Amino acid sequence: MRYFTKQQQGQKEAVPVDLEPLGQDRYRLTVNGKTFQVDALSVDQGTLSLPVDGQSYNVEFEENGDEIGTLVRGQVNRTDVADERKLRMRAAASSFSVEGRQLVLAPMPGKVVKVLVKVGEEVKEGQGLVVVEAMKMENELKSPKAGKVTEVFAKEGTAVENNAKLVVVE
Amino acid sequence: MPKIRKVLVANRGEIAIRVMRTCKDLGIATVAVYSEADRSALHVRTADQAYFVGPPPSRESYLVQERILEVAKQSGADAIHPGYGFLSENASFVRACEKAGITFIGPPAAAMDAMGEKTRARANMIKAGVPVVPGTTEPIGTIEEAREYAQKIGFPIMLKAAGGGGGKGMRRVEGLGDFDSAWRSAKSEAMSSFGNDAVYIEKYLEKPHHVEIQVFADQYGNTIHLNERECSAQRRHQKVVEETPSPILTPELRAKMGEVAVKAAKAVNYVGAGTVEFLVDVHRNFYFLEMNTRLQVEHPVTEWVTGLDLVAMQIRAAEGEKLPLFEAPAPRGHAIEVRVYAEDPARNFMPSPGRIHALRVPSGPNVRDDSGVYAGFTVPNYYDPMISKLSVWGATREEAIARAKRALSEYVVKGITTNLRYLHGILSHPEFVGGDYDTSFLTRQHTELLGQEDAQLSEVALLASTLHAFQRDQKRAKTLPSRGGGGDTSGRISPWRLALKSRRR
Repeated sequence: MRYFTKQQQGQKEAVPVDLEPLGQDRYRLTVNGKTFQVDALSVDQGTLSLPVDGQSYNVEFEENGDEIGTLVRGQVNRTDVADERKLRMRAAASSFSVEGRQLVLAPMPGKVVKVLVKVGEEVKEGQGLVVVEAMKMENELKSPKAGKVTEVFAKEGTAVENNAKLVVVE
Repeated sequence: MPKIRKVLVANRGEIAIRVMRTCKDLGIATVAVYSEADRSALHVRTADQAYFVGPPPSRESYLVQERILEVAKQSGADAIHPGYGFLSENASFVRACEKAGITFIGPPAAAMDAMGEKTRARANMIKAGVPVVPGTTEPIGTIEEAREYAQKIGFPIMLKAAGGGGGKGMRRVEGLGDFDSAWRSAKSEAMSSFGNDAVYIEKYLEKPHHVEIQVFADQYGNTIHLNERECSAQRRHQKVVEETPSPILTPELRAKMGEVAVKAAKAVNYVGAGTVEFLVDVHRNFYFLEMNTRLQVEHPVTEWVTGLDLVAMQIRAAEGEKLPLFEAPAPRGHAIEVRVYAEDPARNFMPSPGRIHALRVPSGPNVRDDSGVYAGFTVPNYYDPMISKLSVWGATREEAIARAKRALSEYVVKGITTNLRYLHGILSHPEFVGGDYDTSFLTRQHTELLGQEDAQLSEVALLASTLHAFQRDQKRAKTLPSRGGGGDTSGRISPWRLALKSRRR
């Protein structure tokens, strides 16, 4: 079974990982030309005991949409994992890149204190779009790309939940 | 004065729980107050009684004096502990408590007044003979007067525009030779920037450390200090890591600063726990900064090395008992505290409120976690982002640093972003390990403190994420069809499905 993974924001090509189940939560994995045999026992809700080549790793998981967050020995990684079918679907929706339509979501629950753009406005990459306040701090959310604002969902003075739609830039 | 039998804790989160724990140890009943946003908070369930006080914003709930006093009367509390923040340094609240016949566990209103406002506190301290950052604060008329004053306080000095800020009209002067030209350019820049060429002089502190002295007084004028805390690891004037003893203090300097802090407290007839904050420069001169007339967030490090319970001492002092000791105990070993915040250091410390899915707190020898949260709790976005303070003790500083790092590696918080890794970065940084880190440390080393990505761990993460996706997809394929047919015969819900359910909320 082949999966495609992406770890960094700027990473263009997805890295393929081949996975072969050996039964009883044991697997053979191949990535970047290297093969690993792992014992992947799920010990708790969202926790994995993962000895790899004699090293013991405790992995904590956290899913956020298609992104899988991991905590391993103090390091946090966010990995986007898709199988072949999903990858094709996503290529069509172009969500693996900053090309095309970009939806800006609220990164935390809070209150919209300022909307800095209007529909139809041209914006530069990194330009502020919306200011959201949480825990007595104001945070400016910036445009991921240069383009045109096509939709504005955020309204000043309203409360927003985590991952609420704020602005669309195309 | 009669014994206190029931305490209303006019606060929330970790400090409310911290205070209640000592009350329980002493056999004192506890009363919690909570806002709409804190209905599910841990401090509510920790208390014997709990009263709702209003909507989420603190000025409509935790800060409404009348409401807090009403609850105190209703619940039969004979004392109020304010914690830190909120009403803890509000002199009018102290007077209102007095009028209502309820003991305020803290200093008298007059002491708060005397230390409350910075310039007033500065004037009071000068009068009491406590060193303050030397400066004129008032503009100086002529260049001759200015030159003379600069020589008196000693170079380097800062020239500052009285009319404004933002670095305009500001000059650092290293010595007498540069003085005249710096004076003229500062004045002309002040004139062109603010239309006012008034300039004043302040001593420039090189590599300042923030070192504070814990003081304690009873109602009979007995006042002692309980040594220092080093709090120079700050970002945007917010303390992040604190330790005691300070790595830069000699026993002589400790004694000298302690003596001055006691003098400051006595000058305002202080009672209870208070903290006198100082700046210590590279030459180890120290200057009064301000006095906090309450219990500090970082008080546990003092408790570790003195063996005292400061909250218990506050309660005893409020009951009218005499101080149990007459001089500062010599610090035993070393203690470090780190503040765990719901925030993302990599994204400019953006707050990260939200639901905590899973929580595993460190334990083991000489580890203490003062927390205000639990797994399943939603950290509200109305209050301070600190969710816990982790403190450790070690026989030496080296041991304490190693233990703090070990404890941090055990800490797991899922669902929200925290600064745990950043804290580990601070404790591992050579400048922190060396011990001589000034107040600019965190800002200067920001990028390095965020930590480098370890390529090998990233590869492990890649493998783990792929496994996770595979196992998830397998479970989904198995559980989805059974939904319609109503028949998982085992009657169990797969833990993965449970996990997914909670995440979809």
